[in-house]
Amino acid sequence: MANVTLTKVGKVYEGEHGSSFRAVDAVDLAINDGEFCVLVGPSGCGKSTTLRMIAGLEEISEGDLAIDGARVNDVPAKDRDIAFVFQNYALYPHLTVAENIAFGLETRRAHRSALVAALTGAGAARSEETSAIRARVAEVSKTLGLDALLSRFPRELSGGQRQRVAVGRAIARDPKVFLFDEPLSNLDARLRIETRTELRMLHRRLKATIVYVTHDQEEAMTLADRLVVMHQGKVQQNASAQECYERPANRFVAGFIGTPPMNIVDGRLENGAFTAKGASVAIATHIPAQACALGFRPDRVRLTAAGTTGAIPATIAAVERLGDRTDLALDSAWGRLIARLDADLAANAREGDAVGVTLDAAHAHFFKPGECGARI
Amino acid sequence: MKRSPLANAILWFVLIMGTAAFIFPLWWMAVVSLETPQRAEAAITGSAGIALFPPSPQLANYADAVRETGSVPWMGFVDALANSIVVTVLVVLGTVLSSSAVGYAFARLRFRGRNPLFLVMLGTMMLPGQVTMIPLFLLFRQFGWIDTIMPLVVPAFFGNAFFIFMYRQFIAQIPESLVEAARVDGLGHAAIWWRIILPLCRPVTAICAVFTFIGTWNDFLGPLIYLHSDESTTLAVALNGFKNQYGGLEDVHLLMALSVLTMIPCIVLFIAAQKTFVEGLARGAVKG
Repeated sequence: MANVTLTKVGKVYEGEHGSSFRAVDAVDLAINDGEFCVLVGPSGCGKSTTLRMIAGLEEISEGDLAIDGARVNDVPAKDRDIAFVFQNYALYPHLTVAENIAFGLETRRAHRSALVAALTGAGAARSEETSAIRARVAEVSKTLGLDALLSRFPRELSGGQRQRVAVGRAIARDPKVFLFDEPLSNLDARLRIETRTELRMLHRRLKATIVYVTHDQEEAMTLADRLVVMHQGKVQQNASAQECYERPANRFVAGFIGTPPMNIVDGRLENGAFTAKGASVAIATHIPAQACALGFRPDRVRLTAAGTTGAIPATIAAVERLGDRTDLALDSAWGRLIARLDADLAANAREGDAVGVTLDAAHAHFFKPGECGARI
Repeated sequence: MKRSPLANAILWFVLIMGTAAFIFPLWWMAVVSLETPQRAEAAITGSAGIALFPPSPQLANYADAVRETGSVPWMGFVDALANSIVVTVLVVLGTVLSSSAVGYAFARLRFRGRNPLFLVMLGTMMLPGQVTMIPLFLLFRQFGWIDTIMPLVVPAFFGNAFFIFMYRQFIAQIPESLVEAARVDGLGHAAIWWRIILPLCRPVTAICAVFTFIGTWNDFLGPLIYLHSDESTTLAVALNGFKNQYGGLEDVHLLMALSVLTMIPCIVLFIAAQKTFVEGLARGAVKG
């Protein structure tokens, strides 16, 4: 197992007519040995490109990539000792499950050809190798519950089984680093959650270094030891999932992490009150007066009776009952806000009801203006 | 959809007539090959009709044809057959290997000038064989390759534009991630082509191999131009020996007997490869 270090890594695609597109911009990242690191962001944010650069499937335009301290920018993919799990699994269609799992081992064995081995007197060494590969395939398939499927072809497997084979192919070789590129996005919702848990458990057992790419922030939060939120080719925040949720580094992270998303309102902070679009709420804070954005999570919204002084007047536009909790969409002076309440508190909420919105100063976030405005 | 009996009858009629039109020359050839020399010649000149089935089938015609091929009894046929087999096998191998490798490069490798090169390659298909025939002959004579199988076999190892195009189209549909997975698994491009791409290209390979086999096996002009001695010629040219230089028809029954024998490998191969073959044609049709 190994650590992975990216230093100012960038990817620039040169287009025709001298145009160029910067897909990844100066990414600094230190992934520790045995860490489960998740790159998350909307599509086109550069997360997959970053992963592919780590794999060696994409050339690195700028910066340095090191695995275990050694610079590997110019080392071909096959010599980086990494395993890659693809979104579409990329199983070899003409090989059985066992052959797929053994493939990476077969290509790396010392005695590839039975004929050459026999002629050079290495026949015994080769058959030893063969039985070692067989044992490894058996071990891996047992771990993943693939024993019964070893002689099947990929086309005869379900999506979930294919996904397991893809993981099996990766772990068979015992690589330094595992790279996953949205491996669960082709599975149905229920299987996705099951497999997510299994991956987490597998990571515990293997103590492997994993870099995992997904656009699903919930998947990212449940899996990650370290969450790297990316947007427009840049790292927006690199911290634990909890930290990203509780103290988002900027407005983009605040809006991206968490479902339903954080309510964010542009306005002005002055004299202990935040004012936006003519409505203001008193907030005790030490932050100096300035134009900024106020963010607050839906579950921190407090509803009061309509007309309460100091509350933002709002009407309930939609009620979504989820069993244990209820989401309310509110039309307020600040625009559309989302509130998440315990189901019993919202038992009487009706669409069209007038309410007042207040919030908890301790859980308010302030950001500088702009799409990626930094946390204040 | 269920067809009315009338529509069915019309369909059957059209299909049967079409089949008959295609079968007729083969049947005619088989009948003449079994006739006596006199009746065969009469059939050719049109001075008498031919029977649906020969009244007294002359099976001995086949033994005679084999014995009379070339200038040495029996051995002339063996030589021609061996030459045909060697040339055909080498040409099929060469065409499949080189066309699939070049097709892989055009489909999957990114290199400067790839698209212009591809167009140039397609352009060579527009060039009629007659145009290059004499320059090629002069070139191969310079190499000292006349009366050897080299001029017939070596060009096959440099790809065939049409099959390269077919392979390229097919390989372009194979997901890029398979190639990437193989790269991560430790394969270089040559190994990816051999171990991943070629096995997946089976339907194209079947088409390429069968077409090339039939084309080479039946090729008359190539061996006629480059192979001069009796021992080095192929079956297709040896057949011509039954027509004497004045165009005499006295041996036409033997010509037809040997023609039937020559056709057998093509028919057997076609039937054997048919399943893979149709799968490939259908796939090409659906996915384009």
